[in-house]
Formats: sequence, structure tokens, C-alpha cells
Amino acid sequence: MSEPPRKSDVWQEMLDSFDNKIADPHPLRNYEVIGKRGVRRNDGVEKATGAARYTIDVQLPGMLFARFLTSPYPHADIVGMDTSEAEKMPGVRCVLRYDDPDLAEGVAVSGHELNAVLALPGGAKFQGEECGAFVVADSEEIAENALKTIKVEWAQRPFLLDVEKALEPGAPLTHPHEFPDSNMSMVYNENHGDVEKGFAEADKILEFKWSFGYNTWVGPERPCGVWRWNGDFAEVWVKQQRPHIAKRAISTWFGGIPMCKIDLHCPYQGASFGGWSQMSWNLAGTHLAGLASKRTGRPVKWAFNRREDFYGGNMDAGVFYVKVGYKLDGTITAVSQRAVTCNQDMAVFGIVAHLIENTKIPHIAGRTEAAWVNKGPTVPTRCEMNINCYTLNLVFNHVADALGMNPVTISLLNDGAEGRDMEWLNERKAEIGFPPRDSLKACVDKGKAAIGWDEKWHAPGAKTLAGGRMHGMAFTWTHEWDDSGGTSEIGMYFERNDASVTILGCRADVGVNAETAYCQIAADELGVPLESVRFKHQEDAGFYTMTPDTSTNLAINGWAVKSAARLLKQRLLEVAVQVRGRTQLAEYPSAFPGLQPEDLDVKDGVIFEKADPSNSMSIADFIGPGGANGPVSGTAGEPFFTSQEEGLAYPMRGTPPIFEAAWHIQRGCYLGVRLRFCRQAYFMEVEVDTETGQVDVLKVVTVNDVGKVINWDGCEGQAYGGAIMGIGRGMTEEVVWDPRTGVMLNGNLLNYRIPTMMDYGEIETIMVETQMGYGPYGSIGIGEDVATVLPALIGPAVQNAIGIWIDDFPITPDRVLAALGKA
Amino acid sequence: MEVSISEKEGAKSLDVITLNVNGEVHQLVVEPQWTLQYVLTDKLGLTGTKEFCAEGACGACSVILDGHPVLSCMMLAIECDGGTIETIEGIARANHPLIDAYVKYSCMQCGFCTPGFIVTAKALLDRNPDPTLDEIKEAMVGNLCRCGTYPAHLRAITEAAAVLRGVVSAQGTPASAEGGAGHE
Repeated sequence: MSEPPRKSDVWQEMLDSFDNKIADPHPLRNYEVIGKRGVRRNDGVEKATGAARYTIDVQLPGMLFARFLTSPYPHADIVGMDTSEAEKMPGVRCVLRYDDPDLAEGVAVSGHELNAVLALPGGAKFQGEECGAFVVADSEEIAENALKTIKVEWAQRPFLLDVEKALEPGAPLTHPHEFPDSNMSMVYNENHGDVEKGFAEADKILEFKWSFGYNTWVGPERPCGVWRWNGDFAEVWVKQQRPHIAKRAISTWFGGIPMCKIDLHCPYQGASFGGWSQMSWNLAGTHLAGLASKRTGRPVKWAFNRREDFYGGNMDAGVFYVKVGYKLDGTITAVSQRAVTCNQDMAVFGIVAHLIENTKIPHIAGRTEAAWVNKGPTVPTRCEMNINCYTLNLVFNHVADALGMNPVTISLLNDGAEGRDMEWLNERKAEIGFPPRDSLKACVDKGKAAIGWDEKWHAPGAKTLAGGRMHGMAFTWTHEWDDSGGTSEIGMYFERNDASVTILGCRADVGVNAETAYCQIAADELGVPLESVRFKHQEDAGFYTMTPDTSTNLAINGWAVKSAARLLKQRLLEVAVQVRGRTQLAEYPSAFPGLQPEDLDVKDGVIFEKADPSNSMSIADFIGPGGANGPVSGTAGEPFFTSQEEGLAYPMRGTPPIFEAAWHIQRGCYLGVRLRFCRQAYFMEVEVDTETGQVDVLKVVTVNDVGKVINWDGCEGQAYGGAIMGIGRGMTEEVVWDPRTGVMLNGNLLNYRIPTMMDYGEIETIMVETQMGYGPYGSIGIGEDVATVLPALIGPAVQNAIGIWIDDFPITPDRVLAALGKA
Repeated sequence: MEVSISEKEGAKSLDVITLNVNGEVHQLVVEPQWTLQYVLTDKLGLTGTKEFCAEGACGACSVILDGHPVLSCMMLAIECDGGTIETIEGIARANHPLIDAYVKYSCMQCGFCTPGFIVTAKALLDRNPDPTLDEIKEAMVGNLCRCGTYPAHLRAITEAAAVLRGVVSAQGTPASAEGGAGHE
């Protein structure tokens, strides 16, 4: 058998897409299922029938259950602990303590990199932090009861909850072990142009302060994990969006476990939108379960309870000071912003990045001061671009209001990239193969028509409805993104017997319907029915895809799937024309003798000769069975088994395994790696009750230029789902702490209110397809956009209604009443 | 008969109850503080009933008890002695039109809350075969979906109701309903 076509044109195609800093150079011309409406999602029946299994559902014979001790204080060290009563309780099988010699060193338990963190710390930096003890028992209830018997001697430390107070001189240290010198972990500066020059060029200057409260992911499935030792093989189930990082970390534990001895399962994920998966401590429970499993000889599941899922929050929490210079025609000349952020584990995503990447504003500066208080850490939670999106939104809407201009006009006027105008940007599009379309204008036109902008938009505070309610309209925009760098690996093969296609690539399914989208790509590229393709994503098969975060599913994995499918098709056609082998007894001849691979094509699962489509064979017939059902010859070389199958036109198969693997590399979009061309535009209509402060969202129109729709349900689901999440973030969601005790007051779903079916108005989702995305076929990510851009639009909408700015989010009724002087 | 480990060790008082779950009769030894949700998922292995909020605020653990939708995390198993319970697994086994409609309209994202929605919707359609959109919203408002799939549910429930009434076939034309799917 010849080697796979490593030097083929198809191979070169894959290399051409690496870095994907240009338009897809090898698009597919005919789409059968890509972009088709009505494609049923692969996970639909499983999830609708309750058959879908999540890590929390794992039940194993003899399995034990583990729970953490949590701190009652916002900042305290453990100076003594008596676990003897817990250890004696019936049903308790193991108690791990913070002073266990096996837990003395830091281990890699992060959702990001191989860090070194104590899995069971001896103190807490926020109330509710897991520390001190890990009780393993026959049931969750017994473990819970045992925790109550543990006597802890705490040494309380001073605590702070306000990020600006944390930066005052002489403030007590909130994280003295991690940050012994001050409560600020880092300063991150962004500079583009010369802001002082920009302010000097401005006709007017405006300044404002805004803030965003601490909100969180609220994952339906509690954080959890399961560990079972099968001899010296480790079998692990993770609730983690990044299974490849989990396996890499696990391989460093307990003196090192060879990767080949780790069986990793990444079942369906009860979503946490990045969030929990990003935490630098999120594999600690799994590590402790592994240790406890070793000591007890039984499988161990650990889980948080609902309140403990409020472990950390979204990294948009903070206080922000903005200064804007602008001309009287609406041209913005400079923006500077200083932020004091709350407990950012990764304060490197900037606060003015979207202004730089997305506008012709020439002079921009941002300064992020990452302060730490005694709350849980904050991480990207759909997503790290929150602050950048809120900033762009509020800058444009404040300037429009100050000038009495339409915010849509101001936005179109300032659209561009990296301080350059649209003419410059269009030249860049043409250079790298994109059509020079005006994405923002396309989005705006559709959105304005859908919401009736030209008829309904009015000056702030100018429209009172019958009954005294005030009517408001708002608009914001930014670019689309797929930001992460990384690699994706995809394996793909034809199954024996029926030639159905299995795609291998371990990844977490968080519900964005990506697996269906990948199957659509494979089906169209291979020329097989969609129903015969499956993405087997939950089991570690040695191929690691990019994670579902940072909207990079399609932008990276889509390329790898596309390349794998093209290689697989090429391989199939090469095998089809070759003599497949000769033995002493028989020859396995070519299925298409005398032809070359390029003479053949595949459609509907059938290989055919292009010049004579009647010369054809189904892939299933060609591939045939394997093993003991494979080709069998008699002593004279006569095939006598497979030839006897009824209706089989081509008895002697003996095909090699038809398998291919492909990969993709993307260096990421951050920091000017590549220009952004696709835009998104959102419109909102609200009513404000000035007696109660209640804000009702009447309608939201989301317009996303996704470049090219692969899967409609996926795109639209992310848009309207994101809109609903965004409404919650902007209006009701805020974690509240008691300022006297530092205790979290609303770590539950009764008092931390996420939207219900009656908390939003009409939502209209519109997709624009300019094919200016860097993903395959011109696509671009959509997973994070709407939920990230929309929350702060509540502010301009309420301002347009009542004529008063409320820049402190979430905009709750009490804040509205306070703005109206009625609180 | 299910016997808990703690019973063997004599730690707790125990009760024997009978539950008819999806047409199957189970005699169970339970501790008095066990919730119905815990018994269904951990003792009977019916993990389609999900725990999300664990305090009656989200509807993910919904089951139908003697014809009425209840939150199984808020019911003690001993309260249900003699009761007839329908879970998502039973609804699926009966091939209720809601299942197909939920798949067709892509009502799930992460899918964790989806079974609870279908159970609540099934109870709605049992008592009201032709609900208005407002009646659907009122019935479903106690079911939380963090992914924000709500608009799709309105379409699916409306269509399933029409299928049950024989107005359209399971493969028939979509019932019209408000929702999130705009079209370019």
C-alpha cells in the first residue's frame, strides 16, 4: 500500500490554512447540508429524553462521595483542626486534611496551565472557600453530616470587599500569601497613538465613571469530578471545558502517570460558560478524589453544592473611569480609561481593545489595575471581552448623547480598525482575499428595519407612554471574534460494513451544537449523507481539539475537520483505483481499474467515475467488513465467503483501514495578530416605570455577521440565548456580600436572579453572511458575542427613556429610582 | 429492594414505601429525609431528573406525581408513598410528541435543564391541550435555562400540542409561534 498522500494538493491545502490570516483559499463551491435549515442536532434525542449523561450523573459500583469543608469567614487561616469525630462516623471512609503529607506540595490543578496550587489549602481568602478538609463517605449526606462535626480553630484576618479601598495606602492585605506587598497583582497598559495629542485635537471632552457588579456563571451542573483506579490505570470523568488540559495535569499527579494509562471521559457539560472551567483550582477536587480513591480502593465522586458553585465570578466586575475627546461632527479623537478590576486571574485582555481593533479613533489608552479583595477569583465567563464591549458601547452612547446625535450615525462615522478608516480597511480585505463588504452598515440596515429605529428612536426622556411609563431605544455594536490561539487535531475514518464516518477529537460539549456543525462540514466535504457522520467527542482517543471557549470552536476545529475530510476523501479515491494487495493465493484488484483518483468523485456515499457516473460503487460496498468477516479465500484462491453475500456486486474487498488525521494551528487574534472585518449590531427597546424603577425589555434585535452560517440552530441559539443571559447580567444579576461579615448573601437561585421565560420581550435574531471571517468558508465565531455585548446596552436604553445616565450595572429598580431621586 | 449502606449500620430510622414510577412498581427502603429526586436518581438510576438549584427555584427536577407536576427536590420520598410518578424517561418511552418537537426546534443547548422543561410541558398539555403562548409562559416560568433556550420551547410546545390534537402530523408544518429565530 502506498503512503498517504502527504505531498498532495490536499495536504498543501491544510498547510495553506495554518494561521488563517487570510480568506479561506480553498472554499467548497456546493453546499448540501452546510448552512441548510432544519438540520437536526446530533445530541437532540439524548438531551430531550434525559439519556444524556453528565459527570454528576456518573454512578459506579462501590462509589464514594466527597465534600469539602468551607470557610465561614472571608479571610482566615486554620491553626488547628479536630477531625476525629468525623473519622469515627459510620459511613465515613476517608478524611483528607490540609496537613496531610501527601498534600503538602502544590499540584497542577488549573483549567489553564500546569500551575502549582495547594489542592487543600489551610485557609481561606473568601467566605465559602473550600479548604481544610475533604470528607469521603458512602453518601453525600453522610459526608455533609461529617463535615459538621469537624472542629476548626480559625485565625481570622482583616478583610476587604471594595476594590478601590483595597488600593488605598495602608489597606490590609487581602491575599497576603499570593500578593505580600500590595492588593494589586498587576498593572496592564494599552497604548495606541498619543492620547494627550488626541485630547488636544478634540472640540469637547467628556468624562464619566461606570461600574459593573460581581456576577457569575450559574452552571446548571454542579462542579464535580469522578476518579476510579483500575489497577494502575486512572479512569477520570471531568466537568471541564478543557479535557486536554485536565489529562495533562492528571499525568503529573501522584508521582506521574503515563498519559497512555489515563482513561479520560469528558461527558456532556452542564454549562459554566468558561467560568468554572477557567479557575486555577478547578481540578483540585479531582486530585483529592484520586488520592482518596487510592487510599480507599473505591471510586470517588466529589461535588460542590449549589451555593459553592458561586465560587468565583465574571471578570467584568470593577470600577472604570473614562475620558473621551471628540469633535462636533461626532468624530472621536481620543479615549483613555483607567480600570480597577476585581480579582482578575487573567488581567491581560485589556479594557480598550475593541476601540483599537474596531474603530478609526487614533489615540487610545487603557490602564488596568488588577485589585484583589476577599471575594472569589474572577475569570472569563462568556467572556473576557466583556469590559471591552461595555467600554465601546458606553463611549459611543455618551458621545452621541452629548452631541444630541443618533448613536448609529456616530458609530458608522468612527468604524475602522487600528486608527485607520474604512477605505484603508477595505484595501486590507482585498489584499488577503476577502470581499470588501461594509459589514457594519449591512448589520445596521437590517437591525434598524427590524426594530423600526428610524420611527422609534427619539431624544432622551422625550417619549412618555400612556400610564406614565417612559420609552427608550438604544444601539451598540462591535466586531465579531474568535480569539484563542491553539491547535486542533481531528481523526476521521470510515467504519467497516456501512462506511459511516466517525470523527475523533476529545472536546467538551457545552451545548453550542458544534458537533453537528462539524458533521455537516465532514458530510459535505466527503460527499456522504449527514446521518452517516458522528463526532465521538466524549472519549479521549488521543486527538485534542480546541476548547469551546473564546468562540473558537469553528474557527479552529472547523479547519481541522475540513482538512481531515478532504484527506480522507483523497485517500478513499486513491485506494479505490489501486490494486490493494496480492497474496500467494489471490489478488485483490482495483475497484476502478485503469482510472486515476482525479477521475472519481463521491456523492451520496457513492464513488463514481466523473466521465461515466454509471461506473459506480457505494463506499460501503467498497470498504466491506473486517476481521473474521473480511475476505476469505479458498485454497485455489477463489473467494468463497464474501462472494456469497446476496446482492454484492463486488465480492473481493480487502481494503485497508481508511483513516486520516489532520490538524490546524491558529496563533490567535489578540494584540493585532489579524484585522477584524465582521461586525455585530444590537438594538433594544425598553419601557421604564418611573414609580417602581422597573425596566421591561420590549424587544431586542441582534444582528451578527457570522461570515457564513454552518449550523443555523447553533448560530441562532447562541444569539437569542446570549441575549437572554445578557439581559440578566445587565438588569438583575449581582452577587451580594454583607459588608460587616464578608459573608455572601445570595448564593442561590432564589436571590441571585437569572432570567425566566417571562423576563424578556421579543428577541429577533438576524444573521448576516459577508464571508469575511477567518474560519472555514469565511465563517467566524458567535458563541460569546451577544451575551457579552448586550448587558451594558441596558444603560443607554434606560438613559434614552428617562434622560438620566445610570452607569452602575446591573441596572436594578433601586438604581433607577435613585437616579430619578425617588429612592 | 434498595437498602442503604447506612441502614446496615443502624444509623437511621427507615421507612418502606411503594412508588409506581413510569408504570413499574418499586418497593423501597428510604430514610425519612431523602428527597424524591434523590431516590429517583441515586436509588433508581433515573438520572434524567436533574438537580440544578436544589431548593425549588428552577424546575430541573420536575416530575409528574399523581397527575400534577411537582419539584422532586422539594418532596420527601416518604410523602410520595403509594404515588404514581412519571419521569422524563417514562415520557420518552411513551414517545410523547414533545420529544420530537424539542429535537426539531433545538430547544436544548447544554441540555441539563431540558428534561425538566419537557416534564413541565407534558403536565401542561395533559391539562390544557391547546395552550396560548401566555399560558405556556405561565406554566413554564418556573423552569430555568441558563443557556437561554426559552424562545425555542414556545415553538416546540405549541407544535407538540397541535400534534396531540391531531391538527398537524409529527412531520407536519411548523405551528406558528413567537420565538427567536429571525431570518435573513
